[in-house]
Amino acid sequence: MGRLQVMVEGLGKHVVTEAYPWAPLEVPEGFRGKPVIDPERCVGCGSCVNACPPNALTLSDDGRYRVVKLFLGRCIFCGRCEEVCPFNAIKLTKEFELAASSTEDLVQEVRLVMAKCAVCGRPYATLREVRKVAESLPENLKGLAYVCPDCRERISSYFVGFARR
Amino acid sequence: MRRASGSEALGRVVETLKCLGAESVTVTQEGVVLSTVTKDRLRDFVRALIREYGKSLRHSTCVGADLRPIRGSFSVTHVLALDDLHLYLLVETEAFGNEPKVPSLTPLLPAANWAEREARDLLGIEFEGHPEPVKLILPDPWPEGVFPLRKDYPYNKKLYETPTQVRGVRGEPRFFSAKPSPPSESVREGCTLIPVGPYHPALHEPEYYELYVEGERIVKARYRGFFVHRGIEKLAESRMTINQVPFLAERICGICGYTHACAYCQAVEAATRIEVPERALYIRSILLEIERIHSHLLWFGVAFHLLGFDTGFMVMWRIREEVMRVAEALTGNRKTYGMNLVGGVRRDIDEGKASLVLRMLESVEGEFRRFCDSVLSMREVVERVKEVGVLTREDARRLGAVGPHARASGLGIDVRVDHPYAAYRFVDVNVAVRDSCDVLARILVRYDEVIESIRLIRELLKNMPKGELMAEYGDLPPLRVGLGATEAPRGEDVHLVITGRGNKLYRWRPRAPSYVNLATVPTMLEGERLANAPIIIASIDPCFSCTDHVVVVDLRTGVRRRMNLLRNALTRG
Repeated sequence: MGRLQVMVEGLGKHVVTEAYPWAPLEVPEGFRGKPVIDPERCVGCGSCVNACPPNALTLSDDGRYRVVKLFLGRCIFCGRCEEVCPFNAIKLTKEFELAASSTEDLVQEVRLVMAKCAVCGRPYATLREVRKVAESLPENLKGLAYVCPDCRERISSYFVGFARR
Repeated sequence: MRRASGSEALGRVVETLKCLGAESVTVTQEGVVLSTVTKDRLRDFVRALIREYGKSLRHSTCVGADLRPIRGSFSVTHVLALDDLHLYLLVETEAFGNEPKVPSLTPLLPAANWAEREARDLLGIEFEGHPEPVKLILPDPWPEGVFPLRKDYPYNKKLYETPTQVRGVRGEPRFFSAKPSPPSESVREGCTLIPVGPYHPALHEPEYYELYVEGERIVKARYRGFFVHRGIEKLAESRMTINQVPFLAERICGICGYTHACAYCQAVEAATRIEVPERALYIRSILLEIERIHSHLLWFGVAFHLLGFDTGFMVMWRIREEVMRVAEALTGNRKTYGMNLVGGVRRDIDEGKASLVLRMLESVEGEFRRFCDSVLSMREVVERVKEVGVLTREDARRLGAVGPHARASGLGIDVRVDHPYAAYRFVDVNVAVRDSCDVLARILVRYDEVIESIRLIRELLKNMPKGELMAEYGDLPPLRVGLGATEAPRGEDVHLVITGRGNKLYRWRPRAPSYVNLATVPTMLEGERLANAPIIIASIDPCFSCTDHVVVVDLRTGVRRRMNLLRNALTRG
């Protein structure tokens, strides 16, 4: 009896095989595919770089520019970058066809101009990040955003000392 | 009810441990008692424990740690489970110096064998009195005196600068000349040796077997594993932060990865006293059960395939496909769910997704029952697995078998009930137990478990409370010990964590269920026909990568051990 039922099951027209790649493959909402950085929104703060488990995202500074580099060859599509980005600059897409003929095709780079400290001239953050910070500061403190952390420390301790005197 | 009796039992256990001579006894987390013992007293202490608790004491694993930078010593922590009392006992002992020595527990608890050899390989801790002090995990040409898990060994250090250095004196490539120690006396003259491996075509995993066969009967089998030892622990301890590791833990296994992510997060949450919101616990449990269903269906497929019943294989995997699609809709991926962080989960299961799950359960339950019931009424299937690969209850207990494998040998142990975690403390889990101890029993246990998982998911979805998904926490305190245990589809999965400074891990030791279940395979193969070997090996649902991730596995000498690749041997033989 069981044998007969198994045969019926075996002959039944149950097909789960997809026609892909001859037909497009639908992926569900929320699918974790290829991450893409929006170069207009990225400020180069490095939050995603800190969170990225496999080091697919890296930061490098050469004095003039900061480069945020995403290498899909290392990416595990966990979506932590999307979760931690304060400016919604990196998003996971539904794209999963990542075959490429060269390694460079798997790399996305965002180059951001560095800001130089108004006092000592050292590059310390990206210009875009500095402007974002300045926007959030009250008018009388805006200037401090354009100074590197070391000089900022010196300036504020001077003012604190001045106030005490 | 369960908790009240638990705390009473806890008090008694703490008293007992103090009486037996523990230096200090602390309750480190709910259901976990840590006792420290000097190394001279370790054996007596454990002997007394065995006398006190007898058969209910189970050796789960043993964890070595290099604590020299902190307190100048190495520590060895044995994890013992008292399943009846819902407790884990951690027994910690210290050894000083650069050539630390501690007494081996293997003569008392045979299940400690591999774990101790792992600590010996990776940390250079000698276990005095160990019956089989040979390499387990590291490759044969690994130099003496180099211990990769010690803190003074950089994680990115290259052992060999050029490829030629890995070649032996005569130029043969040494890493693949897997030649374990010569066969013991029990192998008689005139046996035929059938080498299987180092790569298995059906299991897709690299393992090497030597089968000694006399006619149809297997006389002895050896297993050399750990070819996929990936140094995951070292990577996590050296380079990753606490919330990056869940994603690494998930990649220990390609089938039951989520259970590893959960066990890891539970260990860290327990160590640092993070209260996970209830809704997050429910979501974890629901996903764990979805993972169990897909894993068991996968196993049914493989088992049918090995029995030469490919219709069953195809049908099972077709049914499983629906589970995979739902998992993808819930988490964004078919496997590697990526749902866990320390403190909670990352995505919610809303009404829409819940109804998707319920629809899937409906159809999977119907199809699975219909098909499996017909298969189990086929004489050719049942007779093929009946009384094959017997593992007696006594052997299962002695060798520390866990999960469906132990339950098919009549041991009613299940972490979900014995050491409730996630949302299992809010629902009642019916544990499937069979006592015919053969492959048929393992099939029936898994059958019952699929049905039970379906029931559990429905109940969990119905009772799921509203609320937050993630706990709030700041920097985590360093040097706290935490234990996380989950019931993976293959059995008890244990993670032990020592937190480090700067939101990093100091030590992390995962132990997958196949690690202990593999040790039972030689016993099952004893005297079996060669033709039964593939299904016997597959009947524990072995997962080599899980086991190898960290450590080891080898044969216990004098006992047969074997793995699944016999099928290959058969077609060639």
